[in-house]
Amino acid sequence: MKHWTVQHIEEVADEFEKNVKARGGHFFRAKDGDEVKKYVLQICKEQNVKRVVKSKSMASEEIHLNECFTENGIHVRETDLGEWMLAVAGQKPSHMVMPAIHLNRQQCAGFFSHELKEEIPPDIPFMISTARRVLREEFLSADMGITGANFGIAENGAIGLVTNEGNARLVTTLPRIHVVLIGYEKLIPKIEDASKILRLLPRNGTCQRMTSYMTMVDGPTPVIHKVDGKWVEEDRQQYVILLDNGRLKAAHDPKLQEVYQCVRCASCLNVCPIWTLVGGHVYGHIYSGGIGAILTGILGNMQAFGQFSDLCIGCRRCTTVCPGKIPIPDIIDELRSRYVKEHGLALPEKTVFQKILTNRSIFHRLIRIASIAQKPVASGGFVRNLPLFFAGMTKGRSLPAIADKPFRDRFPALEKKNPSNPKKTVAFFSGCNLDFVFPDTSVHVVEVLQDLGYAVKYPMGQSCCGKPVLGMGDRETGKKIAKQNIEAFENAGVDVILTACPTCAETLSHTYHMIFEDDPEWSARADAFAKKIYEFTSFVANAYEKAGRLKKQTAPGAHKVTYHDSCHMRRGLGIYKEPRALLDSVPDVDFVEMKNPDKCCGMAGAFGVKYSEISLPMLSEKIQNIKDTGADTIAVACPACMMQIGGGLDKQAPNIKIRHVADILAENLHK
Amino acid sequence: MKRVCEDWKTEAFTPDLINGSWWDAFAENAKAASAEIRCVKDNAAAAAEVAKIAEEVKAKEVVVAGDDSDEGIAAACQALQDSGRTVYRDKFEVAEHAPKAELGLSRAEFAVGETGSVVVDTYSYEARVVGMLPIAHIVLLDANNTTENVTTAFKVMARVFKKGYLGFITGPSRTADIERVLSLGVHGPHRFFIVAIGKEEGETK
Repeated sequence: MKHWTVQHIEEVADEFEKNVKARGGHFFRAKDGDEVKKYVLQICKEQNVKRVVKSKSMASEEIHLNECFTENGIHVRETDLGEWMLAVAGQKPSHMVMPAIHLNRQQCAGFFSHELKEEIPPDIPFMISTARRVLREEFLSADMGITGANFGIAENGAIGLVTNEGNARLVTTLPRIHVVLIGYEKLIPKIEDASKILRLLPRNGTCQRMTSYMTMVDGPTPVIHKVDGKWVEEDRQQYVILLDNGRLKAAHDPKLQEVYQCVRCASCLNVCPIWTLVGGHVYGHIYSGGIGAILTGILGNMQAFGQFSDLCIGCRRCTTVCPGKIPIPDIIDELRSRYVKEHGLALPEKTVFQKILTNRSIFHRLIRIASIAQKPVASGGFVRNLPLFFAGMTKGRSLPAIADKPFRDRFPALEKKNPSNPKKTVAFFSGCNLDFVFPDTSVHVVEVLQDLGYAVKYPMGQSCCGKPVLGMGDRETGKKIAKQNIEAFENAGVDVILTACPTCAETLSHTYHMIFEDDPEWSARADAFAKKIYEFTSFVANAYEKAGRLKKQTAPGAHKVTYHDSCHMRRGLGIYKEPRALLDSVPDVDFVEMKNPDKCCGMAGAFGVKYSEISLPMLSEKIQNIKDTGADTIAVACPACMMQIGGGLDKQAPNIKIRHVADILAENLHK
Repeated sequence: MKRVCEDWKTEAFTPDLINGSWWDAFAENAKAASAEIRCVKDNAAAAAEVAKIAEEVKAKEVVVAGDDSDEGIAAACQALQDSGRTVYRDKFEVAEHAPKAELGLSRAEFAVGETGSVVVDTYSYEARVVGMLPIAHIVLLDANNTTENVTTAFKVMARVFKKGYLGFITGPSRTADIERVLSLGVHGPHRFFIVAIGKEEGETK
């Protein structure tokens, strides 16, 4: 329904306007916040408005409407309890549904006391009844009520409001003027379409079947008030403002229009590992979290988007709960790439990504130099302490050292062990981590495949998969890297390309397809390449199954092993049963699940290094969940998680070992 | 009194969408939303129940929306007056006294099984204030007017909703804005009563 609407947004808006006007409402289309303010101030002047009450309207916060009233000497009050407390405290909301979730009762009591100039104890029922008394006076004395709208129905010009407190009912009942500020994305064609929104919004927002009040206002309705000391009944003045502020442009953009599916339920925030850690204020704008980054970008503030879009780590948890099925991380990637196209990357990132990553030999040489340069600080495979300003990066976590001998140098010896009569030849794409940081794991991957009767090739022309640059939004550099890799593997003449890194697998198969959408030649080559990409654990589980080797078995005295799902593996590729089945098939493994196995470890590519203050608490939670299982080994199928969790274990639980599933399988072969 | 629909029964209800079969789901969900349900067999019993609730909430003044064509409302007003309460029914009197009255009384058109909501036709100003300003609110409901879910409720409303003010009430006014502790009665009523006519006497279940 919303999909159809966004395709026909102008028609729907025209019908909505026609029906509001037909019922006697005033209608105004505002291009941006300034137009709204001008219009509203004009109404205040014409209608002699001195006092205004508002019920929750994110759109009015988006354009800073309250400040405009105050500056013009008009008394304005928020009436949603949480918003009212924040307004009194001069704060901004941190959550779309529970704006004051970051405050405790003592702080709330402080704001009450400050506003009322009397001592208010931190007793919740008392504070509630005090708010009722104080805000009741505001309602009864207001000239104008302002609301947003949860939906606007084109068919009859009605707007819908969903609240628990009932403040929207009072705002639309008591004052003699009602102003509605509604964004284009809230429009729906038919009355019956509202039921779809109402079935989603309360359940996802506050887990209720229905909020206390669902109110639909269609045209001007009667108001009874005193004029010159006499009670009179007349029609309330109704003004409906349809706000664009970037929304129409998004509606015509095939990539961004999916945002129209957002019902502002905020369930994406409640599961976001970053949001739950840092809270809403870090985002510094009205709409927070991943969806907030997108809305901020679309609603005309790309500068703000640039500042906090990389707080999305692409773990995709939000996509599993979003009732509108919005691919939030993908849209962020899209906006990021547009932002970089327009503004460019920050300088150091530019140098690294554009100059180095596209030149494989420089990149690889630099990594080798790094392996020597790090010698003074590295010990036992980890960099434990970094000097000076790098110290934050190794607090609570050791970063892995770069191996003395990368996998590519070890492969020629390994290649000689290929079976003489192979079932098939497969090519291995290692990715940077398995080449330079964990070359042993790459060796184990090859050994497991050889044991299955496959010959393994390692095309030396391969480079980084390109995720770091693509993640930063630098699509041009990403394309150059992608072309190098596609060519390298075309020349290998195989039909299976295997990788043991889920991020690489996702990039090679999904992202390459996307970045070449407008280039028919490379699009075809990328698709042919993508068809050959297999992720290691799912490929091996399938082969083991066929060979009758995928049976659950546990030998006496087996080691307790738990498993961590990488975000890209679980939600990007949908693979989670296979690695568990493989672990279960190893006699020496007694598999146990941990709490929240699929919650992000906090690495997320470069994020873990750039935002170490956020990444580390996520890591500590993960380590605690691992410890709680009593396992002596944590298995992963992702080298980035291996780097992050392994570094955390080194500092926080050195007795627990981290192994890639390939390591465990290969070690079992040798027994 | 201004209404979205003058006669819901003949203009909006059809037996396929509105009937008595969703009562149990409605009662369960309404109670889960902290609504208080009182079941009575007819208008006379409803009137007595309304007077009893007025006693319970210690209401001296009651504001009412609905005229004498609504027999349930008329009987309840009589019972309230007989038990010594001051009852305001004229729209200007309602407007004047609603902010101070302790109890409001009005009609609900039908009920939604899935959510425990009642649908209220509140086109008139007085119908809105009696349900929002006093600390307690009673609606009279015909227990046979129930519908399955939000989707069927909107099918029914779509037949008549051309203009006005229409909505659901699902339990009393609530907030969890302070430390996520549930508190009732923040702006609207603290207690919300549904007197369901056409059911056995006494509380359900």
